[in-house]
Formats: sequence, C-alpha cells, structure tokens
Amino acid sequence: MALVAERMAGIGSDIRGKNFWAALDLEKQGQKVLKLNTGNPAAFGFKMPESVREALIANLDRSVGYSDVRGMIDARQAIFDYHKAKGIEDFDIDDIFIGNGVSEIASMIATALFDKGEEVLVPSPCYSLWTNEIILSDAKPVYYKCDESNHWNPDVEHIKSLITPKTKAILLINPNNPTGVLYSNDVLLEIAEIARQNNMMILSDEIYDRLVFDGKEHTTMAKLAPDLTILTMNGLSKSHVLCGFRCGWMVISGPEAARKEINEALLKVASIRLGANSIMQTIIPAALADTEYPNSMIQPGGRLYEQRKATCEELDKIPGVSYVKNDGAMYIFPKIDKGAEQIANDKQFAYDLLMDKHVLIVPGSGFKWDAPDHFRIVMLPEAEILRDAVRKMGDFITKNIK
Amino acid sequence: MELIANRVETIGTGTRGKNYWAALDLERQGKEVLKLNSGNPAAFGFKMPESVERAVTQNLHRALGYSDLRGFAEAREAIYEYHVGRGVKNFNIEDIFIGNGVSEVASMIATALFNKGDEFLVPSPCYSLWTNEAALNDATSVYYKCDESNHWNPDVEHIKSLVTKNTKAILLINPNNPTGVLYSKEVLEEIAKLARENNLIIIADEIYDRLVFDGKRHIPMASITEDVLVITANGLSKSHCLCGFRCGWLVISGPAQMRERVNEAILKVASIRLGANSIMQIAIPAALSDSQYTNQMIEKGGRLYEQRAVTCEELNKIDGISYVKNDAAMYVFPKIHKEIADDKKFTYDLLMEKQVLVVPGSGFMWETCDHFRIVMLPEVEALRKAVREMGDFISKL
Ligand SMILES: Cc1ncc(COP(=O)(O)O)c(C=O)c1O
Ligand SMILES: Cc1ncc(COP(=O)(O)O)c(C=O)c1O
Repeated sequence: MALVAERMAGIGSDIRGKNFWAALDLEKQGQKVLKLNTGNPAAFGFKMPESVREALIANLDRSVGYSDVRGMIDARQAIFDYHKAKGIEDFDIDDIFIGNGVSEIASMIATALFDKGEEVLVPSPCYSLWTNEIILSDAKPVYYKCDESNHWNPDVEHIKSLITPKTKAILLINPNNPTGVLYSNDVLLEIAEIARQNNMMILSDEIYDRLVFDGKEHTTMAKLAPDLTILTMNGLSKSHVLCGFRCGWMVISGPEAARKEINEALLKVASIRLGANSIMQTIIPAALADTEYPNSMIQPGGRLYEQRKATCEELDKIPGVSYVKNDGAMYIFPKIDKGAEQIANDKQFAYDLLMDKHVLIVPGSGFKWDAPDHFRIVMLPEAEILRDAVRKMGDFITKNIK
Repeated sequence: MELIANRVETIGTGTRGKNYWAALDLERQGKEVLKLNSGNPAAFGFKMPESVERAVTQNLHRALGYSDLRGFAEAREAIYEYHVGRGVKNFNIEDIFIGNGVSEVASMIATALFNKGDEFLVPSPCYSLWTNEAALNDATSVYYKCDESNHWNPDVEHIKSLVTKNTKAILLINPNNPTGVLYSKEVLEEIAKLARENNLIIIADEIYDRLVFDGKRHIPMASITEDVLVITANGLSKSHCLCGFRCGWLVISGPAQMRERVNEAILKVASIRLGANSIMQIAIPAALSDSQYTNQMIEKGGRLYEQRAVTCEELNKIDGISYVKNDAAMYVFPKIHKEIADDKKFTYDLLMEKQVLVVPGSGFMWETCDHFRIVMLPEVEALRKAVREMGDFISKL
C-alpha cells in the first residue's frame, strides 16, 4: 500500500515551493533575501489597525469558546451589512459562513460541491489555492485565458469554448491575483449570461475588493446577477493586513432553493471542524467599520499606492519587459517580451534570479500560466527597497536574455 | 449534475446534529436549555488562563502575518519539549505541524494519507471527527469495539479479526471521548505489536492527556513504540479551555524514512492553506508551561474533579443505568438497561421534556441504542439537577 495518498501528486504551490525553500536555505546561510513570493503585508512592516487591536483585547474573553458553526452572530451581521451595501440582494445572515481564511472557505466549498468528473472553470493565471482545492475534491480545473491585451480580462470566447455538460462552476478572482486588475462590468455581465445559459454556479473571490486604486470602483458579481447562484468570498487578510488571523468568509446568494441546499451541505462540512477561530471573529465588526485603514494605504502618499508607483517607474526602464498596470491589490504580472523563448523553464529562471540577486519571485507557472514569459511581483516592501529589487530584476533580465 | 457533492451524504453530524439545532430553536423560543452536547468549557464559565491572556496581549504584533507553514518555531520548540518530556522519541522539531485545532490536523492527516479503498480502524464508540475526515478522503472506517466490561479498553481480539491487506491505519483516542477512560499499558503494547506486524500507521488522538484524575498516568502511544510510525494529535482546547483559539498540533514519530515521506505529504497539504492562525501560536509556549492551570481543574476541589464526583453520585441513584467511571476528560458514557428503539429519538424526547441536550451513542457510531454521553462541564449544582432530570426521564421509560 502506498504510504501517502495519490491525490498529493496533483497538489502544488509554487508560492511556497522549491524556490521558497531554497530562499530559506540562503537565509540560513546568513544571506539576506528579499522574499516577494507572498502577499503577507506584516512581513514588510505593515501594522495592525488600532481599531482591531482594541476590539481584540476588549473581547478576548469572548474568544475562548467554540463559536457558532457558521460564525459569531455579530460578526455575520457586520458582514451582512457590508455585502448589502455592495449591492447583493438575495441572501440572509445564515447564508454567511466564516472560516479560517478564504483558504479554509475554499476547502469547504470544494468539499461540499465538487465531485469526480465535474469541471470547474478557473482563470489562467490563477492563484493556486483554488486549483489545489478543486483537485483535492476530485474535480477537474479547466483553465480559461485572461487576455493581457484586454487588460487581463477573462477571454469570454475562450470560456464559451470550454463549456461541456460537466461544467459545474466558474471561478472569478476580481480584483485579480496575480494580475492585480479589476474586471470590466461588461465582461462580468457576459460571464453572468454564460453562467445563466449553462446553469453554472459562480464563485467570486473578491478578497482584494477594498484595495482598489485611482478612484476605480469594484463591482461585486452578485450585484450584477441576482438571479444566479453565487458564492462571494472575502476576508481581512489583505485589506486590514491580518493574514495571521486567518479571517475569511463567504456569502451564498441567489435563488432560494439552491441557496438552501448549498447552505445545508456547507453546514455539514463546517460542523466537522466545529467552528472557525473565535478571536478573529470578535474583531470583524470593528475592522469592517474601519474603512480609513485600507483607504490610507491606497491613496496617493499611502504605502500601496507609492509602492506601485515606484515599481511601475522602474519597470518602465527595463527594455523588453512590458506590463499591465494593476488597478488593485499588491501584485503586478509583467511580461518578458523579448527573448522569452530563451527561457526553457520559468521556475529555473526564478531560481537563477534568486541565486544571483537574492530576490524571490513566483514565475507564471506558479499560477498555471502556460508560457514561461511572466512573473509576479509582490509590491509590499517600502518604495526604495522595491525600486532596488526591480532594478535587480531588470539587470538580471538584460544580462541573461538577449 | 447534482448541486451537492456525493460525499456530503457520508458526513455524520456527531455533536452538532438535528437535536442540536432543535435545542437552538427552543432557545430562540425563550426556553432555557442545558446543552451538554459539546466539550466547550467556555460555555460553562471556564476562563482563559491568565498566562495565555498575558502572552497574547503582549505578543499581538507577532500574530499579524502568515506563520511558517508548520507553525512558529518557538511554539514548535515548546511542543517538542513537551512530547520529549512525555517520553516520545524519534522525531524532531520539523515533524511537528500546528493546525487550527485537532480538527484541522485530522483533515490534513486524512488528506495526506488516505486513498480510496484504504481501511481505517477506528474505535466504537468514536468521536466523529476522524470518521468524517476518513470518509471525505474516500477511506473506509472499520469499527473495532471498545469493551465496556474491560474498562472500555479496545478489544484487541476484535481488532485482529478486522485487519485486512487494505488496513492502513488505526486510530486510538486515549484518554477517550466519549467514554473518558484511560487505556491500559498492556492493551497499548498489544496494539503496537499488531501495528508493527501488519505495517499499520497509528494515529493517537491524545488531546485529553493532561486531564487525568486520581493520580493516574497517561502513557503516550508514541512512547512505547519506536519502530512504528505514530502520528500523535494534541492541543489546547481542553487542557487550557481554549476551544475558540483553534489550537492543535500533530507530531510524526517513528522510522526516519517513513516519517520523512509523511512529513512531505502533510507539508504539501499545509501549504495550500498558508498557515494556522498565528494568534493561538503565540500562546502555546505560555500554555504548555502553565500546568498549574490544568492541574487545579482535576485535583480534589477542582471543577472537573467535583463535577465528575457529583455526576457519578447522581448516576448511582438511577435505576436502570450503569456506567464506567471515567479516568479523564469531561465525559461519561452511561448505559441504559431499558428497551430503546431509536436513541436519537430518546435524546430528542429528553430535550423536549427536560430541556437537556445530550448526544446518544449513535452520534459516536455506537451501534446499539443503549448509551448516551454526558458532558460534565456545568457547575456541580446544575449538573446534579440535570442528571436527576435524566434519571426521572429514564425511570418513566
Ligand atoms: C485571490 C486570493 N484568494 C485567497 C487568498 C487567501 O487568503 P486567506 O488569507 O484569507 O486565506 C489569497 C491570498 O493571497 C488570494 O490572493
Ligand atoms: C477526541 C477529540 N479529538 C479532537 C477534538 C477536537 O478538538 P479541537 O478543538 O482541537 O479541534 C475533540 C473535541 O471535542 C475531541 O474530543
């Protein structure tokens, strides 16, 4: 008998893959490595919102017990109000489930909904959490292209061509990781129409919705398609830099019958683990009320804003590299335009960059992007450090790719 | 296409089944319900250890980011010391994974280990977490009997009769939930031998190991075998009343080669979810060095000790009930010597008539309708009253 499960063969995360461990090894040898592999703001000096600290300490005694299986009622009330205000209509407070991060939420969704033989449409490039969870539930991720020449919007024609009788759901990540873009309402409406005609559920991971620059506005998918079954995911890891709290949730909206059935299945899955951690639940109302905190990061003068600016300025100076400027989040996904055919293996490219410049990035393949010509920059270090890192990338690229 | 995955049907709801939701409905109608379905000390006024409160408030800034995939190094250091102190050998600090409760740890283990067709030996009665996780990962749970007439020890002969070429692992819950007993050294040794002979992985859920009464000693499974792969699960939910923190961990011990392969698989699973919550991890070193907190609950005069005493005293007065006195934890699993057709109906009726919620044997995959579990967490007088109500209800059957 095999010692470990066969399903493990399909699992991988290049965000914490071989190059990540190589970077840790370098650090153990005393080298300084700039790790731009994960969107973990705390690692770059972002501080906890005061509102959150106060709420946590004031409520610590409420954190001791298992919470309600779906989540604490006042936390769900705050989440309910938030999504109502964003324009989601058909759901109620029991259609909200709080989990240990969107990560756990994704696992609960895949466990409750997907079976062997079913197909789920996921973007390429795609944040690896979702493909891993789909594979663990024996379903098959089918990749639709996002079109760099169309501001990385999903390629609607490609989506249409991939639909089969087994297609159960489509995943949207908006604002996106790794591209950082915001999708256009036209594209969202077209995807809604496809889902409507093909009886597909929509999973919409909107964890970056509060981190949008330049006065642009994020439209929640469920507002555009109230008649469809939509699972909207969100959380506090990014907007309130609380990755370590493991705070995420989902909202089920749409027609009542499907909503109820999904709710019951998710409740069963959620009860196995009794409840999400209570500590982070006690701070959800305070965090969602504190819009000032995320806003201060994304305005001119704010860290995320200025770090993006510095990154783009330096990227502009690298010949042979192009990029779509991100609208949100903390990521940008540049393209090596010239000479990319010289890169046989983008993991090796990232490894060589790490060894040469001590900068760790995740290449396109880590997001299921199938050409070796992209990589993601996590724009979390202070502007000057980022400037230096991007220059090093440019240096490496011009030196190695002719 | 079905809306819901087929596997959902296999999930047993254990301590949060239909009767639990019926109890919440009663509460919504304004009734007072004594909910003895779950081992959640905070619901009964148990307070967090001051050591933990201090550690959390002072180190909060460290809880902001994703942790190391396996868990914070100093939390794992404390866990390492703890298990070495308990006699576990053949593991190192990287063989420890911290998770959001033993619940998440169980999910990671099952995901990393089980293939379709694998058989998993689990106790009957059994805490439902493990069988659910096995089922979600396509393994088949095969139930071995625990023998009430032998202090609820696993029935080793029965276990032997169940081993097939598909048997991959055996689960021990020691101290046990729902029976609350401690297994004997002889039985543990026999199970170790059986695992060795049949090349089985042992999964030892020892979350109650610090809550043992009467000066008895818990023997960690991993301390009596060095050549068998043992995955030990433990956590702070019970010993430090921190259920809401979701703090659990696993320790892989045994032969290096197997350990490494299992470690690698679990690491892959763990990396999907980035890390366990960081807040509880900053509490681990403080909690594990605060044995005082745990001990004052189980000593004479301590809440868990006295609540057990009262429960037993009242159970002794009920005709038609017998029980094995628990050695540990907060549970007792009495037997009803009366005809009961459906034990879920029995507990539903008890809930409706007496507003006391308990989980029947079937919630623990016990196959005859003649047991139920009492969670001995309320203060003595509340427990006394509750057990009397149960007695009253049972005597009228
Ligand atoms: C698109 C997306 N979804 C989910 C997550 C996971 O977030 P959480 O910390 O809530 O598990 C991330 C984290 O990077 C992400 O980028
Ligand atoms: C035997 C056993 N294992 C695991 C658990 C789950 O504990 P945690 O809170 O660490 O998920 C419990 C909780 O009651 C239990 O009784």
